[in-house]
Amino acid sequence: MTVGAWICLLSPLAGALLITLAGTRISRRTAGYLSTGSVAVAFGGAITSFIGLLGKNGEERDHVSTAWTWLSGGSYRSGFEILVDPLSVMMMLIVSGVGFLIVAYSIGYMDGDKEERRYFAYMALFVFSMLLLVQGGNFLLLLAGWGMVGLSSYLLIGFWHERPSAIAGAKKAFVMNAIGDATMALAFFLIILYTGTLSFDHVFNIVQNGDSGISNSTPINLIALGLLGGAVAKSAQLPLQTWLPDAMEGPTPVSALIHAATMVTAGVYLIVRTHVIFEAAPKVEELAAGLGAGTLLLAGLIALVQTDIKRVIAYSTMSQIGYMFLGVGLGAYANGMFHLMTHAFFKALLFMAAGLVIHALHGEQDIRRMGGLRTLMPRTYLAFLVGGLALVGIFPFSGFFSKDSILAAAMDHGWYGYVLWVAGLAGAFLTGIYTARLFFLVFWGEPSAFVQEHFHKPKRDVVGISLAAPVAALAVLAAIAGWIQFAPLWHPIETWLQTVAEPLVSPAGWQEAVSSVLAVVLGAAGIGVAWLLYGARTRRVPRLAFAQRTLEHKFWFDELYDALFYRPSIRIARGLGRFVENPLIFGSGRELGQETRALGGLLGRAQTGLLRTYALAIASSVAVLALVFVVVR
Amino acid sequence: MLGPSVAWYLSVSAFLFGVGALGVLLRRNPLIVLLSLEIMLNGANLALIAFSRHQGQGDGQIFALAVMAVAASEVVVGLGLIVAMNRKRITLDVDRLNTLRG
Repeated sequence: MTVGAWICLLSPLAGALLITLAGTRISRRTAGYLSTGSVAVAFGGAITSFIGLLGKNGEERDHVSTAWTWLSGGSYRSGFEILVDPLSVMMMLIVSGVGFLIVAYSIGYMDGDKEERRYFAYMALFVFSMLLLVQGGNFLLLLAGWGMVGLSSYLLIGFWHERPSAIAGAKKAFVMNAIGDATMALAFFLIILYTGTLSFDHVFNIVQNGDSGISNSTPINLIALGLLGGAVAKSAQLPLQTWLPDAMEGPTPVSALIHAATMVTAGVYLIVRTHVIFEAAPKVEELAAGLGAGTLLLAGLIALVQTDIKRVIAYSTMSQIGYMFLGVGLGAYANGMFHLMTHAFFKALLFMAAGLVIHALHGEQDIRRMGGLRTLMPRTYLAFLVGGLALVGIFPFSGFFSKDSILAAAMDHGWYGYVLWVAGLAGAFLTGIYTARLFFLVFWGEPSAFVQEHFHKPKRDVVGISLAAPVAALAVLAAIAGWIQFAPLWHPIETWLQTVAEPLVSPAGWQEAVSSVLAVVLGAAGIGVAWLLYGARTRRVPRLAFAQRTLEHKFWFDELYDALFYRPSIRIARGLGRFVENPLIFGSGRELGQETRALGGLLGRAQTGLLRTYALAIASSVAVLALVFVVVR
Repeated sequence: MLGPSVAWYLSVSAFLFGVGALGVLLRRNPLIVLLSLEIMLNGANLALIAFSRHQGQGDGQIFALAVMAVAASEVVVGLGLIVAMNRKRITLDVDRLNTLRG
């Protein structure tokens, strides 16, 4: 069982190394197969661990396997160890499973790119980093995985490095993530300071069973805040959300894998993993839920006006992760993780279906130039329909089951919960509008002039199959995966995760019913509004200049950060350059040089070139020295 | 100990050294300068040998032999240089050889 987990962790790394070392000795296609194969092996390893855990009782499903002692200093010790428990196995299954489908899809999508091998090596490296993140058996390895995920995301966003916008997006993502990494590292220093260890078990034990003063104290609040900082950075939540839309400059499968299915959900995983700390700091936990609610509204609003097909989906990702934060912030851990899983399916599906559209239109991403693709790409149309309905949360698609139970959980958390609940319902309405808008604009109506000119059908070769098969598989998953857990009747995921994270809230049956009905009705209403505006086009899109400008500028977050951080630091740097660097550092260096030269010139005059003066100098100095010796004696 | 006292020897040595030094300082012909250098060295050698005899030890004499060897090789190089200069028709005047002036 732990062997399976080790194989799961190391196989993608081996794949990445192999592709790197083999270089041009293997064909581009082979690199793709290698990468896909290594992730498939990882998925196999995850399944073996899963089956191994299934055979145990609830209390025994917690294994730490240490390979070697990694760091030790004084009484502090950290091993290179992995943790196999229900939560990590669930994440392993999602990461490697969805990752496998997406890497397989990449074989077709990246076909013909001249740096395919690099792409597949990065892809395998990313899967390894993500698995390290979720399997790491202590905070240190978690942080290592966290940083490596940021690195591979940077590499993949900037994969098309000849595009300046891709490089800018990659840098932005990296810097934003680095802020989160820093706050997390600070939190870990505090943990070492107060508990002396970074092992999950010990820290949680001390927080849970230590003296009662630890709960709600300043250190624990600071630790939780630091962890939350890491989580919001990685998951693109308020206030560090601005990098995600720009990350869409990467190839579409990258957007599907990193910025929808796996990496951005790391924040949710972190909160569930360290829920003991967050429960000891309830204020911070509520802050996490509030940030989630804020993000889901903000992102839903911005998604209404975006014109890039991938950016719309990116904003919907932010919005859905907002739901997950809302859920786990209120203590509905299983519901949050369940939504994480279904979201991985339907969002990867949406991205990959969008990738098919982009592929068929020669890289065009502007939805205003699309339209009428329903008749041209009927199967993609169906897949997108399934994904869209799952995203809006329409019964019986997967989003219905997972999103509504989060909303129901919010009702069980006092007045604050009700505020968040209302936000979540408003978010459901927005989800309906922007999803249906995208859908109608891309697929309905008559084929636009651009589409008629540029459309080309994918062929039924390796490329076509590699593109179509993962989409089909995800469409099936997005349609039916929700039935795994139907909150009022059966809840295997909650039972599965019970030993790791006991939920804090248990919504009553009527709350489930009310939330479900309202969410579905609002989602459907959103679809209806979008139908009137974009499908049937019986109403004109209302023009509110100011609102539109605000949304198109994404609530001016970029401009705000520019004015708050970027410009002042540029100004400080200029000032320092002008008043410190130039006069002090450069100036002193320059003058040191000049003075030394002048001194040298002075000394140079003593060198006359006349042999006899030298001889006289030597003779007279020796005479003086001799006199001195005689006198001193 | 027979013969004059060590002071006599030292006086002669100092006189030789002084003559040599004056020659080096005052004369401009490199040949003469080289000659004066040899006189200085021999003055020093005389002092070494005088002290050696005075002390009754052989160290100074050995040292004098070493100085002679060095002086011989020095003369070989120096005379070679002077002959080469003469062949190239360079004026044999040390004050003219001032290209290394700083």
